[in-house]
Amino acid sequence: MEAIKAAFRDIIDGVLLAPLWLTLGWEQTLTRFRRTVLGPFWLTANLLAMAFALSFIMGGLLGNGNWRSNFALIISGILCWSITGGYLPDASSTFIAAGDLMNTMRLPLTFHVLLMLYKNFINFLAQLIALWVLLFLFKMGSIPDISLLLGLPIVLIDGALISMIVAIPAVRFRDVYQSISFGSQILFFLTPVFWSPEQMQGKRSIILKMNPFAHLLELIRQPVLGRTPSLIHWEWGIGLMIVLGAIVITMLTLYRKRIVFWL
Amino acid sequence: MSCSVRLDGVTLDYFIYSVKAQSLRNAVFNLAVGGNLYKSQGDVTVVRALENISLDLVEGDRLALVGHNGSGKTSLLKVIAGIYEPQKGIVDVKGKLTSMIAHGAGLDADASGLQNIRKLGAMRLIPKKVVESRIDSIVEFSELGDFVRLPVKTYSSGMMARLMFACATEFEADIIVLDEWLGAGDAAFGRKASNRMQGFVDKAQMVILGTHNFGLVERVCNKVIEIAAGRAVFYGTTADWIAWRNQ
Repeated sequence: MEAIKAAFRDIIDGVLLAPLWLTLGWEQTLTRFRRTVLGPFWLTANLLAMAFALSFIMGGLLGNGNWRSNFALIISGILCWSITGGYLPDASSTFIAAGDLMNTMRLPLTFHVLLMLYKNFINFLAQLIALWVLLFLFKMGSIPDISLLLGLPIVLIDGALISMIVAIPAVRFRDVYQSISFGSQILFFLTPVFWSPEQMQGKRSIILKMNPFAHLLELIRQPVLGRTPSLIHWEWGIGLMIVLGAIVITMLTLYRKRIVFWL
Repeated sequence: MSCSVRLDGVTLDYFIYSVKAQSLRNAVFNLAVGGNLYKSQGDVTVVRALENISLDLVEGDRLALVGHNGSGKTSLLKVIAGIYEPQKGIVDVKGKLTSMIAHGAGLDADASGLQNIRKLGAMRLIPKKVVESRIDSIVEFSELGDFVRLPVKTYSSGMMARLMFACATEFEADIIVLDEWLGAGDAAFGRKASNRMQGFVDKAQMVILGTHNFGLVERVCNKVIEIAAGRAVFYGTTADWIAWRNQ
């Protein structure tokens, strides 16, 4: 009973430390690009290069030859993927990376997860602005849908829960980090990041329907492109929150005390 | 604000995992074969770092932790700081605690001394204004002079110790937990640091200090706990400890 209480306490304390992870996350983002010429625009450059390359290839594969037809879908897909599945390798190394801090200061486990996710979110926001500017310049943009303000929090909460679930076993078993990095690449292809859901027909469409990351992705990509996500995506987003929340509480109850010794 | 530290029958075990035990493949194979084998093949070594440690500290106490390398001093400091939660026993810490356990921990090597002061302040949730108002006295106490503008990676270990000690003691905390790294400073700084710690008794602050420097213990601390192989072989006042050692 005491352990369950401590698990909830960990989450609450982690959230209440928001002033600290907000400051640290911002500082560490600045530090990351210290002494580089492009600074955070390296991320934008990366996004652009990926999107142009994929649009070029996909235009050829689909036979319509025009990179413009898929560009908005692909660039928004890659960007939204960064916050719905692209952060997974980062998430699984959360505690390993925070090992020094965990050994010098008492902080809730949730704190480290939120700090990691917040840094990913800053990158996402910076690129999102670049994306809207770009789509506007190419005359492909449309006004973002207001449902983004509801979709984003759901995606972020689910993201925090998923991060905790992968981060805990990754400390104990060092193979987990490797398999998550490789798994997230597979997921990138299995999720409609650079292809459109309508293109997937027949039995294979099950990987769309049963893929939670596909639903989370649509929950933010649709509003970014000015559309409202359909009900099924909301259902998945909220349903996941409940299921993942239960798993996180169970894991924290069982392993919270031990994680620092696994480092 | 009143502060106190009470430990009652604290026992701490470390689980040390070999490369084999950290492999998922082994864990999965062992599960398939049966749980018994897991235990015999897991290669998990259990080390009892602390056994049945009890102590009771009140406002103004300055406790020294002494003992050989590997006796359990840092483990006990980490238990008090809340980093480790023991398997058995009660840890009851009241008051705001600042811990500076590892040498250079929390310092960003690429950032300047000044940036690090601000960062250490932020880590302790001290408002920016307060941090700014203390910067001058931190720089003065640490005697770093213009070096505060250079990156910390250019500092010697003694200079880092000065900076960390100045930050730890300048930002208000009720309980300050320090480990042996303090010894990296030179003799002059050692005297300065011990004078400052003696001043804590007036402010009703508490210091818990892991050290090998018996001179520092005699000058600064009023209580001593000596640890050997994870057990407390002595716990009492400094005067009693000196008598006990001379026996």
